[in-house]
Amino acid sequence: MNDSVLRVEKLGKSFGAKEVLRGIDLEMPTGGVLGLLGANGSGKTTLIKCALGLLRPTAGRATVFGEDSWDLSAAAKAKLGYVPQEVTSYPWMRVRQVIAYTAAFYPNWNQPFVDELCRRWHVPLEDRVGALSTGQLQTVGIVLALGHRPQFLVLDEPVASLDPSARRQFLRTILELLEDEKHTILFSTHITSDLERVAQRVAILDDGRLRFIGELDELKDRVKRLRITSRHVLPASFAVPGSLRCEVTGSSATVSVANFDEHLAAEMRTTWDADVAVHDLNLEEIFVEMHDGASA
Amino acid sequence: MPPADIHFEVNPSSGLPIYRQIVDQVLALSAGGLLKAGDLLPSVRQVAREAAVNPMTVSKAYSRLEAEGIVRRVRGQGMEILPPSQNGTLEQRQRQFRETIEPALHRARQLGLNQKQIREVISSLLQDKQS
Repeated sequence: MNDSVLRVEKLGKSFGAKEVLRGIDLEMPTGGVLGLLGANGSGKTTLIKCALGLLRPTAGRATVFGEDSWDLSAAAKAKLGYVPQEVTSYPWMRVRQVIAYTAAFYPNWNQPFVDELCRRWHVPLEDRVGALSTGQLQTVGIVLALGHRPQFLVLDEPVASLDPSARRQFLRTILELLEDEKHTILFSTHITSDLERVAQRVAILDDGRLRFIGELDELKDRVKRLRITSRHVLPASFAVPGSLRCEVTGSSATVSVANFDEHLAAEMRTTWDADVAVHDLNLEEIFVEMHDGASA
Repeated sequence: MPPADIHFEVNPSSGLPIYRQIVDQVLALSAGGLLKAGDLLPSVRQVAREAAVNPMTVSKAYSRLEAEGIVRRVRGQGMEILPPSQNGTLEQRQRQFRETIEPALHRARQLGLNQKQIREVISSLLQDKQS
């Protein structure tokens, strides 16, 4: 498919004996945001680096704009933007110089847009890069990655060091980019409320495997917490098919399920002679349920 | 005509999908008379910018409202609120009502009310509305 911006097939990556990615399949069509979630050490950064050709996969392959990630043409790279987890730059240069230096690599550099971002985010243009705070350096990293308005933007924890107001500004800029439906963004973050604002799709990585990939709304419709209050003490055999987590105390139980539907609730009402209350979960709660449920 | 001056309150970290929140608020605003037939909803871009959410999520909400017969797409203008009589088939409207009343019935059972007692409450409410 030529429409895919990113395509990852059976991707595996090991460092020595340590297997970090264990067969990832993932596809991103043009337009929209895919949020990447996962616990520390689940392989998010490794996946991103393999997808961008910064690390060589041990198995499978990744393509960007239809080209093998390990061997991207200059034309493909010119359409890519990447904000790494830790921005590295030239400490002895002034911010203004780093911007000019980076601009020279891109035929489509949009200086008015960069000026606007620097103004919006109060980027200290005359300061030396080495003297910037972590948050300021991250902001510069974002400006450098956005300067050519890349068709495919990859963000690896881009806002970890930004204050809430700067983060909101950043999100607004991302959302403006999306308005033409031509920009595609892969966004890895632990801040689930940011993903809930911008991502239509989410991928959840767990120990090198994809636990879920699909629509965020679908995930919220499917993962629910049920409170079951029976008129009798629940037996030791009490179980709910497809449950992530289950806690039973006497005649009541709290169960998280991965595949909720009304049918399931109705069945439980009759089977256990119980009231079943269904609670919606937000992305953070869903992540915790899936993660803790898996390790329990 | 300019779009109606309404603002959506979106809470991204609620368990309720954002598009659902927008759909529900349009329904509530029409029910409360703040949105009347012929009013235009603010543009997708405006809502997305104001609430800082993905424009495609707002589009999804508007498409859902269109599919449910609450609004219609007017070329070059936007989404227009339809008169209530056209707001969905009887089946759709009954389904919406069912979704509203189900949690209330659940609560009633928790409170230990039996069917007869629940019916009494509903009947008295219906009578209040008629008078």
